[in-house]
Amino acid sequence: MQKNKINVEPYLYLLPSLFILVSLLLFPLLWNIYVSTHDVSILTILKKWDFVGLKNFYDLFSDPKFYESLKLTLFFVVGSVSAQFGIGLLLAVLLNQQIKGTHVLRTLLIIPWSVSTVITAFSFKFMYDDNYGIINYVLESIGLDAVGWLSDPNIAIWSIVLANIWYGTPFTILFLTAGLHSISPHLYEAAIIDGATKIKRFFFITIPLLRQFIITNLILITVWSINFFDLQLIMTGGGPLFSTTTTSLYMYREAFEFGSFSGGATIGILLIVMNLLLTFVYVKIFNRKTSDQNEK
Amino acid sequence: MKNSYRNNIKQVLSDKWLIYSIIFTYIFITLIPLVWVFSTSLKPNDLAISLPPEFLPSEPTIENYVFVITEPRLVQSLINSLLVSLGSTVLSVAISALGGYSFARFKFKGKNLLLSIILGFFMIPIVINIIPLYLMLSEIGLLNSIFSLIITFQILIIPLNIFLLKNYFETIPRELEEAALVDGCSRFGILRRIILPLSTPGLAIASVLAFRFSWNEFLLPIVLANRPDSLVFQLALYQFISIYRIEWGYLTAGINIALIPIVILMLLFQKQLVHGLTASSLKG
Repeated sequence: MQKNKINVEPYLYLLPSLFILVSLLLFPLLWNIYVSTHDVSILTILKKWDFVGLKNFYDLFSDPKFYESLKLTLFFVVGSVSAQFGIGLLLAVLLNQQIKGTHVLRTLLIIPWSVSTVITAFSFKFMYDDNYGIINYVLESIGLDAVGWLSDPNIAIWSIVLANIWYGTPFTILFLTAGLHSISPHLYEAAIIDGATKIKRFFFITIPLLRQFIITNLILITVWSINFFDLQLIMTGGGPLFSTTTTSLYMYREAFEFGSFSGGATIGILLIVMNLLLTFVYVKIFNRKTSDQNEK
Repeated sequence: MKNSYRNNIKQVLSDKWLIYSIIFTYIFITLIPLVWVFSTSLKPNDLAISLPPEFLPSEPTIENYVFVITEPRLVQSLINSLLVSLGSTVLSVAISALGGYSFARFKFKGKNLLLSIILGFFMIPIVINIIPLYLMLSEIGLLNSIFSLIITFQILIIPLNIFLLKNYFETIPRELEEAALVDGCSRFGILRRIILPLSTPGLAIASVLAFRFSWNEFLLPIVLANRPDSLVFQLALYQFISIYRIEWGYLTAGINIALIPIVILMLLFQKQLVHGLTASSLKG
């Protein structure tokens, strides 16, 4: 008799986590759609929300600032992801070589990972300052021109990318280090006996075996870069002249600076679409590479 | 033969120097901002932005630190941060331990599906939820409360910690539990009396991660709780911009105070963190 009954115990254990995740993560995600199809602003928030259909989407797609923000997001994501991944992979591999003191070195490398976005933003803002920033001081004292790190609209976004590389690279180092630890040393020993050079070992053992870690890492840092706006908000507030308002920051400003909650929610939905598309593209590209290799 | 062996050694030695110099260059560049902020924090506030800059403070002082730990608003925010971080750490570890145990030890319908859904939740960017969360919490009157921060921080932490603890519990031999089951111990009793005491290293990693996420979080507080009585420390630092036309001496001291608990935790658990990530990814 007992056997036919469904055992509810495992579900009970999961209930608290599922309750929180569904009510604070899944429900808001869906509610975003509702908000984006209604007129919700700082003026109407306490009144009835009128249904406006796809008007918010039409408005957004005819907003030149939205396209500007997409361009800035592209700069931000490409700059951040390529550097974080490149530097992260290089350092993870170097740390995995048979050298002394890896433990201490890894600890030193992890320190920036414990730093918050607020701290990163302020530290860089302090060094970038036009009047008293240390970077311009050093540049000028060796005879170079000062740079308007955060005041020049053409440069500001790249200055923030630089800060983001500093902030985000430790995660990639840590993540890929974990991946390298999972590769059996016997494989390398066998390859050395067969006479494979270092470079060959890297491309024919390390990279293929690390593939799963690389793809997960790339998806995570890409998605994070798309959605990330803490640094922009603190360092420049999106300025000068909109020049650092990436799409995610535009969403925040729409809602909390200009008071249009439904406008912000609409941008939020487009961000979700961007996240999903990019994840899909990464998975596709990497899977194709795998099947190519299998055919060979 | 002997010659090539010698060449090999030479090769290895020069490789090592190259490796060390790249790593040290990177570490040097990485630490510059933090060292500079630390050095500034030890200068009198008026001299923090003086030119030419003093790379090392000529007369180090702790007056900036004294300011931060005596300013009532900042002290309140430090207390709030501790309350929020400890509360959300305890809550998330408790909830994730229950969830992780369920996945580690029970067979039930929809197990794999539920596990991938929970992991999928980790992919949902919190940023996209800030507007609906703000509207929801304002509707039920929970904006600007420490409670709402503790609850909403859970979504940052739970998916990761369930996964981590599930993998940790799976490394504990089942025989111990079977003996207890025969003795008539309930499943919950087993979790409490056998599994949890044996999982302290796993619980420690989960707690460190939860504390780090909560202590450093900026986005949810700036949207959900920015009034003085529920202000967290990271947000109090951010508000230096508007309230005190950036007083860099005070701000850099605040930054260092914010760093202390996390850096200590990271240094203590560095090895376990890398190991924990490896172990969980191996099985995932």
